[in-house]
Amino acid sequence: MSSFSGDETAPFFGFLGAAAALVFSCMGAAYGTAKSGVGVASMGVMRPELVMKSIVPVVMAGVLGIYGLIIAVIISTGINPKAKSYYLFDGYAHLSSGLACGLAGLSAGMAIGIVGDAGVRANAQQPKLFVGLVSVELQVSVNPCGMVCLCNALELKTAVQLEMIIFGRE
Amino acid sequence: MSSSWSRALTQISPYTFASIGIAISIGVSVLGAAWGIYITGSSLIGAAIKAPRITSKNLISVIFCEAVAIYGVIVAIILQTKLESVPSSKIYDPESLRAGYAIFASGIIVGFANLMCGLCVGIIGSSCALSDAQNSTLFVKILVIEIFGSALGLFGVIVACAAHLDHNQIISCC
Repeated sequence: MSSFSGDETAPFFGFLGAAAALVFSCMGAAYGTAKSGVGVASMGVMRPELVMKSIVPVVMAGVLGIYGLIIAVIISTGINPKAKSYYLFDGYAHLSSGLACGLAGLSAGMAIGIVGDAGVRANAQQPKLFVGLVSVELQVSVNPCGMVCLCNALELKTAVQLEMIIFGRE
Repeated sequence: MSSSWSRALTQISPYTFASIGIAISIGVSVLGAAWGIYITGSSLIGAAIKAPRITSKNLISVIFCEAVAIYGVIVAIILQTKLESVPSSKIYDPESLRAGYAIFASGIIVGFANLMCGLCVGIIGSSCALSDAQNSTLFVKILVIEIFGSALGLFGVIVACAAHLDHNQIISCC
């Protein structure tokens, strides 16, 4: 214990943040993939030629899983008490960013799924709706999750640096 | 010791966390795989009444769900090899505590990611079987969607193995 500085139980919250980031993003990605996949399969019975175009919501939902993966890896590799002392502040910061990213991914995935399901079925009946479907999907997937995830990664680092400045810790 | 959460957590042995993590990684993964298989299987068997040709091709969906259970088993075995016994004076050392929390988090990540992946692949597999029964050109196209779904289980394995277990600290584990 002589060379250890930082709080002993802080990694619990840090790792839980990484877990939350991945698990909730996976929930969102799974919901989006499954719901829009069912829509595509149902629609494809009547219009098989539209199936490949309608895979857009599925791809968008898959990207959410990648966001969660990135944040989880960033958080896990940031928990390294031997290289840099890990205080409760860092643990809670990691927990909050992991939860924020994960829950944003969950909500974005649910939205992508519901919009994708309705959109591909509507696109089968009215081909002009394809552009609308893609633009709504882009809005839904990029706005909440992309922005939050990227800001999270930055916020982690700047929050920790801010704390070091304010409290004068090394 | 600065807050009540920390004080409570230091009283729990890291073996508890590690063991629960290992159990969750395999148990919840298999739950996901089983859930997916029964969703796919019941639709597949029902659709095959009218279209018996679909059965052998659509077993691929069942295999995708099964792979999720195998991911859980592999990670559980890897995590289990990271458990070592230490003398009881060192159980509550910071390195041991951290290792216990890391194994716990790895187990949760793999377990619940595989649960979601199994469910997703199962639901898509069932609609794949049903649409294949109507129009056999749809099978490969819906299979592409299933492949997107099965990537989620891989994400869980990647985070658990690459991010948590390749640290040097975890070799000297609890």
